[in-house]
Amino acid sequence: MKRKIVAAAAIAATLLGAAACGSNDDKSPTTSASGAVDGKGKTLKVWLMVDAQSGWKGVVDDASKRFTDATGAQVNVEYQQWANHLTKLDATLAGSDVPDVIELGNTEFPKYVFSQAFTAINPGDYENSGTWLQGLKGACDFEGKTYCVPYYAGARVLIYRTDLFKKAGISAAPKTYDEFLADADKLQAAQKSDAKFGAVYMPGQYWYAAMSWVKAAGGDIAKQDGDKWTGQLSQPSSVAGLQKWVDLAKKYSKADPTKNENDQAGIFAQGEAGMFYGNAWEQGAAEQVKKDPNDPNSPLVDTKVKGKLAAAPMPEVPSFLGGSNLGIAAKSQNKQLDAQWIKYFTDSTSMAGLVKANALPNSTALLDKAATDNPTIAPAALAAKDTWFTPNAEKWADVEKGNILQTMLSDILTGKKSVADGAKWADDQINSTLND
Amino acid sequence: MSVVESTTRRTGGSTPHRAPRRATRTRRRRQPSGLPWLLSVPTLLLLAGLLGYPLVRMVVLSFQNMRLRELLSGRTPPWVGFDNYTKVLGDSTFWTVVGRTVAFTAVTVVISVVIGLGIALLMRRVARGVRLLMIVAMMFVWAMPQLVAAQAFRWITDSDFGVINYLIDKLPGVNYQNHSWFVNPWQGWSVITTLVVWAGVPFLAITLNAGLTQVPKELVEAATVDGASPWQTLRNIILPILKPLLTIVTTLSVIWDFGLFTQNWALRDGHPEPEYQTLATYSYTQAFGQSRYSLGSAISVITVLLMLGVMAFYIRQMFKIGEVD
Repeated sequence: MKRKIVAAAAIAATLLGAAACGSNDDKSPTTSASGAVDGKGKTLKVWLMVDAQSGWKGVVDDASKRFTDATGAQVNVEYQQWANHLTKLDATLAGSDVPDVIELGNTEFPKYVFSQAFTAINPGDYENSGTWLQGLKGACDFEGKTYCVPYYAGARVLIYRTDLFKKAGISAAPKTYDEFLADADKLQAAQKSDAKFGAVYMPGQYWYAAMSWVKAAGGDIAKQDGDKWTGQLSQPSSVAGLQKWVDLAKKYSKADPTKNENDQAGIFAQGEAGMFYGNAWEQGAAEQVKKDPNDPNSPLVDTKVKGKLAAAPMPEVPSFLGGSNLGIAAKSQNKQLDAQWIKYFTDSTSMAGLVKANALPNSTALLDKAATDNPTIAPAALAAKDTWFTPNAEKWADVEKGNILQTMLSDILTGKKSVADGAKWADDQINSTLND
Repeated sequence: MSVVESTTRRTGGSTPHRAPRRATRTRRRRQPSGLPWLLSVPTLLLLAGLLGYPLVRMVVLSFQNMRLRELLSGRTPPWVGFDNYTKVLGDSTFWTVVGRTVAFTAVTVVISVVIGLGIALLMRRVARGVRLLMIVAMMFVWAMPQLVAAQAFRWITDSDFGVINYLIDKLPGVNYQNHSWFVNPWQGWSVITTLVVWAGVPFLAITLNAGLTQVPKELVEAATVDGASPWQTLRNIILPILKPLLTIVTTLSVIWDFGLFTQNWALRDGHPEPEYQTLATYSYTQAFGQSRYSLGSAISVITVLLMLGVMAFYIRQMFKIGEVD
């Protein structure tokens, strides 16, 4: 009961804010980032995700400083948490005091672009815009205009224990999927005495992984036909891909089938698994953890697997291209300044800083340089060349938020549904969500 | 029982006048003054602002079709009449959620009231020091915020690091390593029910214990002398005296447990699977997860209507007790 009222109050509060600010015109002109802008006395509010704070705060500060030197405007960066940032964003955007620049995950963008939350930009104003990664840029495009700027990317790789590989007599990372399975068998055999050990850590609701296996088998999540989206998971090739992933998880993984991948690095760091499939930076997250996780300046401490990890592209499996983009709020009062700040934050200087911090740059032209500059992300840079992206549907974010794929995977792994039944169920859910 | 009586009397009767009690009462009965109304204006205003207004907006919203686009632009969403209601009521998922919420409430309330009463009876029998210890221990449980308790339970039952799996695994011949408690919804709901009962029992036990102190000792002694068994004493003497209080705490438990949100939300890490959805989480997911604000409102309105039945019973019971006085 109390909860109801809280929810209602939240809705009411957002409504109040919306009513106060009045309606905006649909046809907003494209915001330019070229030319000089005088921003003296103004302060930009920038919402970045927490990764920037923990990973590359120096890059943010440096870009903001160069921006302030050029325009005279100040920057106030607020770091957001992934768990609740969209709910917070919805409530804030409904009011009139909105953040000027907003970072969102690339799969989250289409919904907001369609809902007219962002203003159109002119890609030519930004460095490397000709070679932006398609998986990032695709989320920004809507009816011939571009509504956001690619920021950084992440590709998933195979991260493995070099010491256990050696013990099992494996000398190099697997080059084919069959080799990968053979290595898993060897690891399992070498650790027979440890009942908790699983050769591959694969949590049951890790849909980015499962869908990569679907893509590897030539399957797809959903296809657009005119205005209508159709789920493709029950197509034979998708089912084959799912089956391959399920076989892997069942045979080699001791992971909880109802968990997702959020804390996989931490669990892997306990030393009870031989390999896992994760973002390049998760290798570092598994080797070292903050002494006090609530303090961004806390010193790092080594885990059990420190110095025993290496990464390689997952053989024969294309990676999901994750990442983030930056958009200018349609309600922002400082659009020209916003564009300028984004220009500094996504130029080659900033990208070089991101590469140092183990993130992938926003452009294909920078990927090769990134691989040579920072050997740690070389496997990810390689993996980023063979990637896939979620359906570019306006309501795709609702499929993610609705836990459709996660529920399907859990149900299949725990035997509640067969692969075919689970895929059929997910297709129905995807159809009704995307075409709602 | 007297606990309830005295609170009713206190909130219902007293005015800040220094005049003798009887005089106040007579005067009020003869010439109704506006003073009580005046004094309750701040409360009424607060209620209207914090409860009434959102409630009205929620009802209005449930007859519109508010999506993210309308929310962000501030345009008035299109009116759709009863569309949201027909959609919700015609959806089998919704009815499954209703059934699950009702079943959970029934089971949890029965278990917590029985345990609460049991502990209250036990508290009458133990030595003073032990009783004090029990009260302090329960106060700690009571004082713990729901979210903290839920997170603690989440760690206890974690499949990789949980202490429950570790302990069960120590039993000879049992393999509970990496056992996931939420694969099987019966097991998962047992964990949630345990958490809710554990957190709910202190209030019940302490309140019922207070109620039990009002059962006249002579009555119980007389019954024992007449040869009544302890069970008969409980059924025919203690429970009838305790009945009004028991009714109220049970109704309150129903209201609290029916609105279950924090526990299943936190134990499922903020994304409860379909079989862990209750009415509260379902409406929240629809409204804020899927940006179907109007559909979520319609679900909330239906939930409020369902709850009104229980509330009406509760309020009637409160008045009844006042009348006996």
